[in-house]
Amino acid sequence: MARDGVVLEVDAVSKSFGALAALSKVSLAVRAGQIFSVIGPNGAGKSTLFNVVSGLHVPTAGRVRFRGQEITGLAPETINRLGVAKTFQITNIFPQISVFENVRVAAQSRAHESGRLSSLWRLPDVEAGAADLLRAFGLLPKRDELAENLSHGEQRYLEICLALATEPTLVLLDEPTAGMTPRETREATALIRQIASARGLTVLLIEHDMSVVMGISDRIAVLHFGEKIAEGAPEQVRNDPKVVEAYLGPPED
Amino acid sequence: MSRALTWGPLLAWALLAVLPALPFMSKFYLLLAFDALLFGAIAMSLDLLMGYTGLVSFGHAAFFGLGAYATAVLLERGIVSLWLCLPFAALVVGLYALVVSYFSTARRGIYFALLTLIFAEVVFTFFRYTQTFGGSDGIQGVPSPRLAPGFAIDTPMRNYYLVLVYLGLAYLVCRVLVTSHFGRVLVAIRENEDRARFLGYNVQRYKMAVCMISALLTGLGGALYPGRSAFATPDLMLWTVSGEFIIMVMIGGLGTLAGPVIGGAFFVVLQEKVSSYVDWYFIVIGLVLVFIVLFMPKGLLGIRDLLGGRRWRATA
Repeated sequence: MARDGVVLEVDAVSKSFGALAALSKVSLAVRAGQIFSVIGPNGAGKSTLFNVVSGLHVPTAGRVRFRGQEITGLAPETINRLGVAKTFQITNIFPQISVFENVRVAAQSRAHESGRLSSLWRLPDVEAGAADLLRAFGLLPKRDELAENLSHGEQRYLEICLALATEPTLVLLDEPTAGMTPRETREATALIRQIASARGLTVLLIEHDMSVVMGISDRIAVLHFGEKIAEGAPEQVRNDPKVVEAYLGPPED
Repeated sequence: MSRALTWGPLLAWALLAVLPALPFMSKFYLLLAFDALLFGAIAMSLDLLMGYTGLVSFGHAAFFGLGAYATAVLLERGIVSLWLCLPFAALVVGLYALVVSYFSTARRGIYFALLTLIFAEVVFTFFRYTQTFGGSDGIQGVPSPRLAPGFAIDTPMRNYYLVLVYLGLAYLVCRVLVTSHFGRVLVAIRENEDRARFLGYNVQRYKMAVCMISALLTGLGGALYPGRSAFATPDLMLWTVSGEFIIMVMIGGLGTLAGPVIGGAFFVVLQEKVSSYVDWYFIVIGLVLVFIVLFMPKGLLGIRDLLGGRRWRATA
């Protein structure tokens, strides 16, 4: 059984690609309603961790539990249906259909018809929910644009809309502000915080930019060369010498 | 049912229904019209895979040919009721399609295309070299199927109306499919199948389902063929026939339903007209195709844009 309030439990997960150990014995526990950030320099194993949790990779060792249920090695679609949604570091949307159709196809994944025979002839009405999401991210005026014609920042938001449309309990955000200007980044982080709390979401967030996560995270774990070197509240982590060293290099004498 | 039917297709279908009343519609032209509509409907079925799901099947001739053989085998044995021939053809094609779609959809892109091709070549070779089904001659001289006792589909006119009904029903099925939950997921798979998985869709199951549906519609089209031609031969399953189906879809317009119908009809009529003048008609057809692909990427249906019609979109 899950410990009280723990939504996601990563238990001593290791993942190797050939001789490269991308993750070694990483453990985390994300509690309900938390914004939990995983930070680390590029190549620290953050995306690999997400890929293990979301089902793209089967870990070499260790287990992943979601709300007490083991999900290690399940297919991405199965994990998503249990309530874990993921966004991608490199924008991963449906480019040549409209913004609204993007969100609709995501939202109808949770409709009653989904996976049933009646999906062959019925079109579930998920318009209201899809429109709400687009409104929350300021994309409603662009609903009929082709997704590929949105600006980079808008595509990043659409990316999050797709994940949220599947009504997850836990959302994995992989560098949601990648490629944004500092101002866009500030706006985006505030928006994520606000929407997560409004929807009662638990968020696991990946960032390499430490400044982004300090303001919005309840808890932070730091990965370096595939190992967890620190975990704690933001201010604790910020002052941890091991973290400073990982980011800035060893202190000079 | 507004989602399923708009006035345009209904009007087009009604016009096709009065086509035989035109003075120049001889038996010859009725049979040409039969082929045009039959291959138009088959191209439309193929477009469920090509245009909507982004899967190119190089083996649709096998579904078509199997449907034709299934009917021909029954007709040859004196089982002439259409109401037995069609379900039997659906059963045969369905079983074969189940195997093909299960294995082919496990791979993507060019590998999917190659697997469908290989399966179809196996079927072709089987019928070409098995004497039970007439070998390279196929099954010749079968009687006409009957709609009811005493009502045989034995004239070009009756065949034409049969294929017109088939086209109408196939269109309705495709129309409902592409505007449903299912159809939206197909387009999502075409656009980005990895992302579709992360939205909770079992992509392979959707691909298998659309393969089966496309194959069944194509096979039912094939099942109507012996009624018109009185034969089924292995040549119906040749890979070049699959290639022609693909060309029909490309000519008409990928990702639409009306487009491939027009493309199929255009191809059939063009082939007939050009080949009646010159032996090297395939060169002419090839040039027309090159022209369309280069200058009309949306196919013949793209002309609608030029005429100021509503903006074309692959997803309705």
